[in-house]
Amino acid sequence: MRVSFAPVRGVAGLLLCCVTIQSAPASAAETSPQLAPRSAPQSAATPVATPTPAAKANPLTRDRGVAAGLAMVPGLALHGSGHYALGHEKTARALFITEGIAVALTLAGYATLRASGNSRHLAGPALAATVFGAGLIFASFGADLYGTLANDGGALDSRLRAPARFESEFGYRYVADPHFSYGGFVVQSLTLREAGFRFTPSAWFANDSSNVRYRVEAAYRLQGLEPGQVGPLDDHVEIVLGALHQRFLPEHFRRSGVEFTLDTRFDFAHFGDTLRGSFIDLSLGYGRAKVSYDLAGLQIPSDTDDLLLARMGLGVALRGRAESGSEVRVYYDHRHDDYAAGLLTPGRISGVFGKLGADLRWFFTPRLGLLLDAQVGSAFVGGLSLLFRESRLQPGASSR
Amino acid sequence: MSGRAYGVAWLSLLVALGCTRPAEERTLRDLEVGHAKASALDVEVGAGLAAVRSLSRDTLSLWLSAPSVDVSLVVRDTLSLGLRVENALPALELNELDTGRTLPLTSGAGDTKKSWQLALTPGSWHFRLAAPGARKKGEFRFALLSDVQEAIDRIQDVYRLINAEPELDFLLGAGDLTEEGEIDELERFQHELATLAVPYYTTLGNHELGDRPPAYQDWFGRANFQFAHRGVYFTMLDSASATIDPLANDWLASWLANAKNSVHVVAMHIPPFDPVGTRNAAFASRAEAATLVAKLAEAGVDLTLYGHIHSYYSFRNAGIAAFISGGGGATPERADDIGRHFMVFDVDAERGVLSSKVVRVDQGAPIDE
Repeated sequence: MRVSFAPVRGVAGLLLCCVTIQSAPASAAETSPQLAPRSAPQSAATPVATPTPAAKANPLTRDRGVAAGLAMVPGLALHGSGHYALGHEKTARALFITEGIAVALTLAGYATLRASGNSRHLAGPALAATVFGAGLIFASFGADLYGTLANDGGALDSRLRAPARFESEFGYRYVADPHFSYGGFVVQSLTLREAGFRFTPSAWFANDSSNVRYRVEAAYRLQGLEPGQVGPLDDHVEIVLGALHQRFLPEHFRRSGVEFTLDTRFDFAHFGDTLRGSFIDLSLGYGRAKVSYDLAGLQIPSDTDDLLLARMGLGVALRGRAESGSEVRVYYDHRHDDYAAGLLTPGRISGVFGKLGADLRWFFTPRLGLLLDAQVGSAFVGGLSLLFRESRLQPGASSR
Repeated sequence: MSGRAYGVAWLSLLVALGCTRPAEERTLRDLEVGHAKASALDVEVGAGLAAVRSLSRDTLSLWLSAPSVDVSLVVRDTLSLGLRVENALPALELNELDTGRTLPLTSGAGDTKKSWQLALTPGSWHFRLAAPGARKKGEFRFALLSDVQEAIDRIQDVYRLINAEPELDFLLGAGDLTEEGEIDELERFQHELATLAVPYYTTLGNHELGDRPPAYQDWFGRANFQFAHRGVYFTMLDSASATIDPLANDWLASWLANAKNSVHVVAMHIPPFDPVGTRNAAFASRAEAATLVAKLAEAGVDLTLYGHIHSYYSFRNAGIAAFISGGGGATPERADDIGRHFMVFDVDAERGVLSSKVVRVDQGAPIDE
């Protein structure tokens, strides 16, 4: 079946422009952001972020629209320009330094790839540096724009974070891949946390039974909140061991593998209160898989296959009626072995890059929420899940 | 910007960027290769195995993609047609299929460029361009050269060594002949081929995708095709976009069936799997890669040949012998001690792939497998 996405892409491009324009507040009447929380914290939580000095009395502008414009030009090249214009020099400096590190990382990675002719000995680390660098560039630019435009008057200061001991997901995903007959999938996952440990089994089942994917993660949190603890930020560092088994029945092969990643989240509130509510996710690791072929009457040797695992995401906590833990995130994921796999382009460069994705977690009650997920690689993947978790704040929870 | 706005903007961007069939346009253009019409005659090349470079009532020029090619003409007027054929086996002959007679050459004996003068009357004419014995099963030798790109200035070194290989029937190419695939580069590539003593049958690589649509197919023919030589099947696939288009996959199913009981060589530019998986100079989807490899294994393919990675790798996928050879001179992979090279294979329709060797252009002794 031929599926043409050209008209959809055209409409989506226009929609993107409209959303970008309409997201900027009519800001002429807005004042400089007040960083103090509107209400007191629910517990004795100590703010992790170092209080940022108030904006200068005489910033370049108090108009957020103008600052957002400056965050784009010259902000595209000089990250932090939006904050600098609003008088938040420390935050601006932190974003600019982040951009510098990111550019250096990208250039070092790219130069290594070029100079070594994509050497088998250096390609993995050089690609990881390039991916992280490019992701950080996007993140520092996005954070500047976010901090310039966001104006919740500190509402997020009163929103504490607490990892749930238990969380489950049940949902549906559609995979549009012209190479495979599958389409709809039922998705299930369960997350259990105890102290620093996390255990997450998950499964995808194709509606037509042509495909199934099992995955299990066991993680240990080296730093960050644990169940029973609450805090204003969700910084964390986890080591994750994963195992994966996937069956492609009509295609006559199975893929089974193990992987190791280091997952981190850094809250941009460390750079200044205007960035409260935004964060960056970084994940780096390595995977190795066995591909086994099930061809009737044939003894086909298995293949082994290794993977660079790298993921960069920029996210924002949701406000308003959304409960704690609600967030939207955009990301780049370098892995090539899942349903969305890597990006295809009409030009010269295809195959190397991973996918782009976005997910939205929206808890409309303390226990119930929705997960909206979309990815674009060599296939489109999108869908919706119902989330259920234990209540976010347990009686007697300690702060950290 | 609110979280919701971020979400909607990013989702829109995802859909705007999405592209699941980047090779579709090229694959459809394959169907046009080998067909041409003029006021006095129509031309149809069997299986699209030649690009029609020009057609008028006086001249028909073909660039062959295979050692043996059938050409049908529908003639509407009495004509004296000059048939010019390039990229031909040096021993190529022109036979009229209806009468079985071999037509005399006008020029090009022993060369890869040949011409004939045909006296045609209105009606249908069927010709076969083939070397004597091309359809008889037996042992022969071919070479593999890919990834020339920006090194076209130094290509004559390589051709000299290829010409020195004894009893070579033809050269096979797994793409990236040029840096951008622009017309002046294709012209230059063809010009340099004048010194090569054997024809060069190729598919395209990602570096031929600079122009949209790529000019490659107008010059050197189909990106996806199959031919047979002395009982051995050769299937060339367009993987230049790190995927095989679903339409080409449909064709592949019939090509695999054709060669089920024969020795079968499959070549493409980007390999399904990179032996260095963390680099992923390979298909964008590991699942698509495994699907393709499983199909090739099920069909009993004997040998897979790839380019794209500017080095030399010998490995197996699903038990099928696989070689990556990107030694045409494009920026080499460092610290691999390979450099510019090409490969030479001996094959036999009854006995399979007999041997392979790597011939280094700049240094070192051949690597025998």
